[in-house]
Amino acid sequence: MKNFKVSKLVKFGFTTVIGLLMAGAGTAGTFECKVKNSSMAKPAGFPSRALTMIVPYGPAGGSGQVSSAMAEAVTGHTGVNINRDHKPGGSGTVGMTAYMSAPADGYTVLEHIDDASSAHALDSSKPNPAVDLIPLVTSQVTFSQIYIRTNETRYNDWASFVKYVKAQNGKSTIANVSKEGSMERVTMKFITEGAGLKIQQISFDKGAPRYGALLGGQVDALFEQPGDVRKFLDAKKFKPILTVFNERPSVFADVPTHKEMGYNFEPLLRFRGFFVNAKAPSDRVKWLQWAFQRAYCQDSYQKFNDSKYMGVIDSYRDTAGAKELITSTIAQYREVYKAMGLKLK
Amino acid sequence: MIDNFISGSAALFGDPFTIGIFIFGVIGGMLFGAIPGVSMLTLAAILLPFTASLEPAQGVMLFAVIYCTGTYGGAITAILFNIPGAPENAPTAFDGYPMTLKGQSGKAVGAAVLCSAIGGVSSALIMMAATEPLANWAISNIGPPEIFALVFFGLAVASSVGGRTMWKGWMSVLLGLLVATIGQDPVGGINRYNFGFADLAAGIAFVPAIMGFFAVSEIFVQAEKKAVGKYEAPKMSLDFPTLLELWTHKIAVIRSMFVGFFCGILPGIGATLAAFMGYGEAVRWSKDKESFGKGNLEGVISSETANNAATGAAMIPLLALGLPGGAMTALMVGVFQMHDLEPGPMVFYNSPDLIWIVFAAMFYANLSILFIGLIETKTILYLLKIPFQFLAPMILLLASIGSYIGRGLVLDVIIMFGAGIMGFLLRRSGYSIPGIVLGIILGKIGEQNFAQGMQMVHYDVLEYLSRPICLLLIIAGLLTFFTGIYKALSFSLKS
Repeated sequence: MKNFKVSKLVKFGFTTVIGLLMAGAGTAGTFECKVKNSSMAKPAGFPSRALTMIVPYGPAGGSGQVSSAMAEAVTGHTGVNINRDHKPGGSGTVGMTAYMSAPADGYTVLEHIDDASSAHALDSSKPNPAVDLIPLVTSQVTFSQIYIRTNETRYNDWASFVKYVKAQNGKSTIANVSKEGSMERVTMKFITEGAGLKIQQISFDKGAPRYGALLGGQVDALFEQPGDVRKFLDAKKFKPILTVFNERPSVFADVPTHKEMGYNFEPLLRFRGFFVNAKAPSDRVKWLQWAFQRAYCQDSYQKFNDSKYMGVIDSYRDTAGAKELITSTIAQYREVYKAMGLKLK
Repeated sequence: MIDNFISGSAALFGDPFTIGIFIFGVIGGMLFGAIPGVSMLTLAAILLPFTASLEPAQGVMLFAVIYCTGTYGGAITAILFNIPGAPENAPTAFDGYPMTLKGQSGKAVGAAVLCSAIGGVSSALIMMAATEPLANWAISNIGPPEIFALVFFGLAVASSVGGRTMWKGWMSVLLGLLVATIGQDPVGGINRYNFGFADLAAGIAFVPAIMGFFAVSEIFVQAEKKAVGKYEAPKMSLDFPTLLELWTHKIAVIRSMFVGFFCGILPGIGATLAAFMGYGEAVRWSKDKESFGKGNLEGVISSETANNAATGAAMIPLLALGLPGGAMTALMVGVFQMHDLEPGPMVFYNSPDLIWIVFAAMFYANLSILFIGLIETKTILYLLKIPFQFLAPMILLLASIGSYIGRGLVLDVIIMFGAGIMGFLLRRSGYSIPGIVLGIILGKIGEQNFAQGMQMVHYDVLEYLSRPICLLLIIAGLLTFFTGIYKALSFSLKS
């Protein structure tokens, strides 16, 4: 992989594209449900049976939890049951492949995350979530942070961490999910280039060993999203030292952002949402859009999102907003991959 | 601790509804663990939404009880039909099923019942005594480099298990390691050997591989015997092991308790590695290594003690740190979250009652394995009386369902039959099925931890060996490996 500088990215001018992305990603205000209709007639009796939701990740992770909360909310206000079918593996490709081969009749929906967008950006033969699928709702949008142990004595904030890492000359370590082309790897590339750091990224694909590595001092820091480590934040075991977002979210008001540290790149966001095949009958799609967007407003779902810090920035995107988010994200990844020297298909 | 245990027991048995949930968990875990095609995870996934209507302590307790008894339940089908109920029961089949073929099914099942109870009760006691310090010790001292060294140490004895010669034993392990590399590599996410099939990007799942290599290949072997008129139905035996017999294996039980407990407290590792390591250590320390894989009671004892010892241990990182040790403990996180709780350091301060009900329930669940298991065993052994022509299609059907149900992929059923045919042919040539399965399971765990470990030591072998636990385990593994080669060469020269 060719080395590249953050400044190169600026040359591509993709910050213009990102303006679209960030326009809707400001810090959240008071919640107001965007879907006013509390009921909608079923089109020709659809759905007359339970829906199936394919989830390309395991039941215990972030996707498993959000799909469970969303399914409960949809069932709660429509009375339609949703059976979740977990098909983990291959960074979401197994589930996506299974979904695309399922009948496009609206009875099967898909949960997926931004990995589907980055996968399409790298290989255009993979489904484009904004074209081959119709986003029903994007219900979680979040940012990343870098965490250290609260009882860490070698450094206690971003500045002292940077100083420590530089003194270690490449021997420092950070735990993340650093698969080729992943949001984590790309963002860490931006940060290390911006700060002039050399740090070893250790890839853990499961949360428990990843968090355990920081708790036990096996690594020096952790790259993660706040909702996934909330219990460690609440227990004062971890503390954030850098927020990768354009402004300081109010709950992390004392944590500097990457922009403030002078790293001039637009943050890549983690988002999770729900989709239906673009070939599904349009009247059924409309009902599903209503059911999922309205489910976002349910108390049970809002409570779940709050528990995951998903109310810190605006997590809601309807179909148009989600398409915009996905399209701009794909464009952003393509520019980044080109700059990184990755071969795009 | 004793006061807390008594108050936990009083809360558990002081409420009829809680007792009902406890009994449901004990029986449900055993049944779902024992029925091929489903597992305790299936039951847990079905029950998860219903736990919202229970008290938090009742919900978590139910899952903990299912975890204890479900881990034991899979041993029965492993011993009687060569169908491990879950990957952690696979080593039990290595010797349990050959014992069934020799007419010693009662001994094998009896030992599994007793040792599961001993392993589970002992780990529950340690869990009650020292959850927080043990969890902190584990995460501070055991990282990916140490876990890889542990896997290397475990693999070093694998060649002794089940192969006609040591070389064939090693070839079997290497084949298993090769199969384990199919799918995305665990660090870079690069696809390997998936030949363009997206479903193979996730690799070969454990369950179809185990079902194929054990159950399906066995059906083919027995069918061939039937076709040539050499088939002998396994003899049903109700002869349980005597106390004297079990006493002779006391060292194996104690060793497996520690091995299982140690593996169980490592986040993300859990009972599967525990069972394989427990079995591997039994082979390593045995004076009659060649008898393993052919019906050695110590193989069953070691595997079942270790996997149940891991259940209590796996609760330690979950409860003390919020780090689930495996799939079942990960589902328990869901139960906590349904009640606005998070497992982790604060739960000891915020919900001590919940913790001690769970601890007490796990203790009694493991004890109940002993009593209910022995009663259940006397009836389940009669399944061996079913004629082969009826039993074989039932096993194939259940194995197919079990392979499909995990990910809902037809590919997994195809893999199961492919593994069955491959296993049938390899067994005829004297290769070791346990060796292949060891390679697949330990290979996946080992590769991931090797890659992470190498990143942590900056690809510097000397830095890796400067970690004392790594150095010790690697030296011990190499010694075992070279001792095995020396013995095999000496034997070849003599003969």
